[in-house]
Amino acid sequence: MAHFDTEYQRLEASYSDSPPGEENLLMHVPEGAKSQWHHIENLDLFFQRVYNLHQKNGFTCMLLGEIFELVQLLFVVGFTVFLANCVDYDILFANKFVNHTDSSKVTLPDAFLPVDVCSARIRENAFVIFVLIISGVFWLHRLVKFIYNVCCYWEIRSFYINALKMTMSELPYATWQEVQARIVEIQKEHQICIHKKELTELDIYHRILRFKNYMVAMVNKSLLPVRFRLPGLGESVFYTRGLKYNFELIFFWGPGSLFENEWSLKSEYKRGGNRLELADKLASRILWIGIANLLLCPVILVWQILYAFFSYTEVIKREPGSLGARCWSLYGRCYLRHFNELDHELMSRLSKGYKPASKYMNCFLSPLLTVVAKNVAFFAGSLLAVLIALTIYDEDVLSVEHVLSSITLLGVCITVCRSFIPDKHMVFCPEQLLRVILAHIHYMPDHWQGNAHRYETRDQFSQLFQYKAVFILEELISPVVTPIILIFCLRRKSLEIIDFFRNFTVEVIGVGDTCSFAQMDIRQHGHPAWMSAGKTEASIYQQAEDGKTELSLMHFAITNPQWQPPQETTHFISQLKERVHREATSDTHPLSLSESEPRSLIANLLVGPSTLTSIHFGGDSSLTNHAAAGSSDGASALRSLSPISSSLHLRGSLSAAHRAPGHTSTMSKAMAGSGTDARTVSSGSSVWEGQLTSLVLSEYASTEMSIHALYMHELHKQQSRGELSRHTWHRQDSDESSDSIPDEVRSEPNPHSRHFPRSHTFPTTVPSPSAIPTSASAISGTTFGQEGASSHSSSQQRYSGSTTDSFSAGGQVVRSARGVPMGGWAEDGQAAPRHHDTLPEESSEDDMPPHIHKIT
Amino acid sequence: MNCRSEVLEVTVEARQVEEAMLALLHTILLHRSSGKFHYKKEGTYSIGTVGTLDIDCDFIDFTFVRVSSEELDRVIRKAVSEFKDALSSDGMGQISLEFYQKKKSRWPFSDECIPWEVWSIKVNVVNLANEQERQICREKVGEKLGEKVINVVEVINRHEYLPKMPTQSDVDNVFDTSLKDVQPYLYKITYQITDSLGTSVSTTMRRLIKDTLAL
Repeated sequence: MAHFDTEYQRLEASYSDSPPGEENLLMHVPEGAKSQWHHIENLDLFFQRVYNLHQKNGFTCMLLGEIFELVQLLFVVGFTVFLANCVDYDILFANKFVNHTDSSKVTLPDAFLPVDVCSARIRENAFVIFVLIISGVFWLHRLVKFIYNVCCYWEIRSFYINALKMTMSELPYATWQEVQARIVEIQKEHQICIHKKELTELDIYHRILRFKNYMVAMVNKSLLPVRFRLPGLGESVFYTRGLKYNFELIFFWGPGSLFENEWSLKSEYKRGGNRLELADKLASRILWIGIANLLLCPVILVWQILYAFFSYTEVIKREPGSLGARCWSLYGRCYLRHFNELDHELMSRLSKGYKPASKYMNCFLSPLLTVVAKNVAFFAGSLLAVLIALTIYDEDVLSVEHVLSSITLLGVCITVCRSFIPDKHMVFCPEQLLRVILAHIHYMPDHWQGNAHRYETRDQFSQLFQYKAVFILEELISPVVTPIILIFCLRRKSLEIIDFFRNFTVEVIGVGDTCSFAQMDIRQHGHPAWMSAGKTEASIYQQAEDGKTELSLMHFAITNPQWQPPQETTHFISQLKERVHREATSDTHPLSLSESEPRSLIANLLVGPSTLTSIHFGGDSSLTNHAAAGSSDGASALRSLSPISSSLHLRGSLSAAHRAPGHTSTMSKAMAGSGTDARTVSSGSSVWEGQLTSLVLSEYASTEMSIHALYMHELHKQQSRGELSRHTWHRQDSDESSDSIPDEVRSEPNPHSRHFPRSHTFPTTVPSPSAIPTSASAISGTTFGQEGASSHSSSQQRYSGSTTDSFSAGGQVVRSARGVPMGGWAEDGQAAPRHHDTLPEESSEDDMPPHIHKIT
Repeated sequence: MNCRSEVLEVTVEARQVEEAMLALLHTILLHRSSGKFHYKKEGTYSIGTVGTLDIDCDFIDFTFVRVSSEELDRVIRKAVSEFKDALSSDGMGQISLEFYQKKKSRWPFSDECIPWEVWSIKVNVVNLANEQERQICREKVGEKLGEKVINVVEVINRHEYLPKMPTQSDVDNVFDTSLKDVQPYLYKITYQITDSLGTSVSTTMRRLIKDTLAL
């Protein structure tokens, strides 16, 4: 082949790869090495660290904080051991005399034991050694973690400085929204994420909050066993850090967890085929982890005690009252959290709600205790007065044994008693307080409204907002209780968990597997009773409870005005905003604001719930009177929730500001006006964003979100009530059925109607729902109330799997329906489950309303 | 996660495995290789040429194009034959070609290899009873491979992330410069037999340690 004679000849000239003339044309300039931030391997971790560094106010602050924490830990352990073993207390208390002849004074070093005695005492005490070893391990763990973190965060620091162009000194004054905007900006240049040209805010949130969103969704759907019915204690919530850690260990990252890595669910869990097998596997894993917990129980217990001791003794010493103070419980944080809500957003929201919440709880001081406390305080006070008077007369009284200590004790006693005596000037107005709380916390089971003054509501609220002392106590017993919960409660739910992860995981390009609820898609997870009627295609199983999807969506859209939601979602948001806007502006219109009958919803929000009936069910004169009386309270309530609204008046940018002075004749008018102002200013924020810093924006955003939340809750209440009378059959099995109790019922003395089960997350037992007289739902009469109740309980049973059932009839429905797998992915292989495939039994219930008739 | 992943699935007869794998891997590598870089002064470079070669398959009615680099071919063949030997006569397997780049890190940590594109080829091996079926299979597999090649080209034609062209000092972090005549992006070929996709103990342990260390 090679020996053909042809004209073609090999060129003898020495040539390089490119012809001589073109050498200059084919020059390339390398573009690499400009940034090291393109294409980051683990974006989840990366964004989390970027967020953490921002929250910790920069690298130096974080470093110093951690170093001091390490030192503090060492000091506390060392000092405690020293105090326990190396001090001769007899010398301190002067029970034993030191044989110093030269000076009569006892010095502190005299009380110290010599080193050899001291170390011998420590060596003899096995418990001390055990504690020392555990704290040593703990400290070493912290040290290694610290060093590792320093290395990791150094990189993040240079990311901030080089890529985001933010120095560490300005970081504490930059909002997260600003940082995020820059990240989105530099994605275009550096391609941090290689899947997309541009990152959205939602992508970043998804990555940071991937697992938290799952947890929120699981709490929302009552999947996690955190509510227990204890004999004697009633219903209680037990959710501690230890339990949370175990849940996360099991689901997300522990050995053999459901997730393959940070961003993807294992593929076998996405297929519905062998769900039973997988559930068995999960159950046995939970069993093992539970047993491991049980075995490690003593170690964890000591650890917890040490931890509590180290973290809280100092606080208790400084302000003993802090133990009585309340805090938002861990469960509350999960229940109140929106999907895609970062820690600092949640915390600021809850902190704003703290004051009204503690006020609300203080409304419920037990009168019995008050009487006792008053009298104890009286006696203690008189003793104290005498002692103090004597001391003033002659200070030698102080040197009498125990006088100083009894003065201190009496003082403490009086302080404690005083906390049980209600403030003389406090007015009992729980309903309004609860409304203000709602404006901040955004979620509330429906049966609370109108029942705010009842003790049951208070008890349930205390599950979200518990005493700090209770919180610490729960943490302490957690090592013992956690394995029990894991082994006996969580294990039973393994199948539901498997189904949950299969049905509610979607793969988003550029993000990985996320909880589908966190997509905040109204169509897939909207609840028809929460303004998404007609838009939602979700079955009950897929609907998020308590309007979580809708509220989360609004919250996210408001906090991230730059975010471009999908078409339908945009429509929903703009529609809602427009409605709120319309209601608000019509309210400020001088003609429509006739004091006797406020028409708009915003006015109702201010005035209180009782007026709502007067709007839609004809004017009831007695109620409107009430409205007029309550309006000023409502106004002050709104003022307290939006302190900036008054300042917004001053901006003078809106015509409403001009109108406001004219309306100051009545309190409610002015406040309504200012409410409008706040809202319109903030909704116009996207137009203004050039001028306003994002900090100001976020302040407006929280007010705007408060108003939207109130509005949505109000509308939800009306809507669900109205819907009931309109179509009696269609939505009976959704859980708004309990809303069928109109407001009139609430004024009736029947106790059963008051705590009707409303939401999955706040299921309460109803002794006999048939006793409810439903005057508004006159069309269907009493029977309908029963249907609603029983079908509701059935749905609750099916999904929350609660073991208690007060409705045997409902229970039967459940059992027949229960066997049907909810395999969305199994059948059609679609990423997004459709409700007909997912829940065949739902349609059957829908089609046969009389079916429930027979049961009742 | 921060990498694209493409999955190709083929069903072949045992004797066709090697050629089918070679065809696909070479096709991908053809598009992911460039000529050698010759760095000049002023931070510029010129790119050498790459020859191509048509390869006819023996057991499949198919011809594919590969880079005419014997060295590269040798490396690929070695990986594929290992895979073929590991694969039982009638089973499933997956061979993946992963393109990555190295990222230098400071002392205590070793260099990170961050993948940016992973091609997984799932192979299903079937046994055929008679010659006639084999003949049909021969053509069928050929057609299928043609489709896959078009697939690959489509994916590669999309304007998606590629590592930026490196400077002389970084060239080893992006390209495999060990070969004399061609310079593919850094790649790694791994394979997996059956689809037991459980995470290994070591990765779990590593994650456990990492998570305890994380803040």
